[in-house]
Amino acid sequence: MGLLQGKFEPNIFTTTADWLFNWARKSSPWPMTFGLACCAIEMMATGASRFDLDRLGAGVFRPSPRQSDVMIVAGTVTEKMAPRIKTLYEQMPDPKWVIAMGACAISGGPFYYDAYHVVKGVDLIIPVDVYVPGCPPTPEALIYGILLLQEKITHDTIAKPSRAAGRTDLLAAKA
Amino acid sequence: MSGYFQDLFGGFWSILVSLKVTLRYLFTPAITTQYPDEHRFQPLRTFNRHVLTIDEATGKLKCTACEACARICPARCIELTGGGKGKDRRAATFVIDHNLCMYCNLCVEVCPFDAITMWTRIGELGAYTRQGLVYDQPTMTADRFYPTPMTPERPQGAGKAAGAATAT
Repeated sequence: MGLLQGKFEPNIFTTTADWLFNWARKSSPWPMTFGLACCAIEMMATGASRFDLDRLGAGVFRPSPRQSDVMIVAGTVTEKMAPRIKTLYEQMPDPKWVIAMGACAISGGPFYYDAYHVVKGVDLIIPVDVYVPGCPPTPEALIYGILLLQEKITHDTIAKPSRAAGRTDLLAAKA
Repeated sequence: MSGYFQDLFGGFWSILVSLKVTLRYLFTPAITTQYPDEHRFQPLRTFNRHVLTIDEATGKLKCTACEACARICPARCIELTGGGKGKDRRAATFVIDHNLCMYCNLCVEVCPFDAITMWTRIGELGAYTRQGLVYDQPTMTADRFYPTPMTPERPQGAGKAAGAATAT
């Protein structure tokens, strides 16, 4: 996730740097201007004055993936749009997160069973951090999702994954 | 020269006129809802997460596992199994997959026993995994009275019975 990522063992300096980086990252998760279907209307309403995403630092909708941190996948992901979404995700600079907003983006929603043209969940093509259900979700639900994302960002670390954790993983894999 | 100043004045005047609405809103109170701290007013019939209502006299689920909701659900997100015979038949497991649910209220409208409702104001949903959005029966069972289309207000007798039950 950057030059310092994974270079150091966890110690007192990495925890302080974590605190600073995570504070900066969670205070300005700029989303990408990116709407696929009707959920985008609720996303616009969330950014407008009634709910005002700027209170969370997330209201600066960037017109370019190069400048954005959060991709809010708002709406139905069709098979034709899927490669474009993957390209846009790969164009975003690296501390990047994805919020799947609405039933269609999470799992295909009402198109899950009988549709030939819808990707059954955006997590099949890009990794998703927070799932916000609804059809469409209310602005409060989207803000709640962004709060969940901020909570997740505070647990990020730039240190190497600790050896003890790796050992327990190996033990778990053996058992 | 006078034309130059006339243009300047005209420019300032047009800016003032076009900013009239903005300037007016500068002196009105803000309409922003400070969401995590305060909540917006929601009407009674706002659709939110499902709740399985209980019979307050007995404390049991009203659901009899007739599967009317599972059959009418357009997204096919409800799965349930029943247990018991005759009058004692109740839902043994009841799972609503909120990854698929489209909040259409059809399951509530079709329910003949007034056993499920969406008028609950439980709108803060979200998870880090898809499995976290699959709600099962213990999660959705009501802990108090929730309004339903058939009984939008708490019946007096049931309230007394529940009050007596909590008092004893």
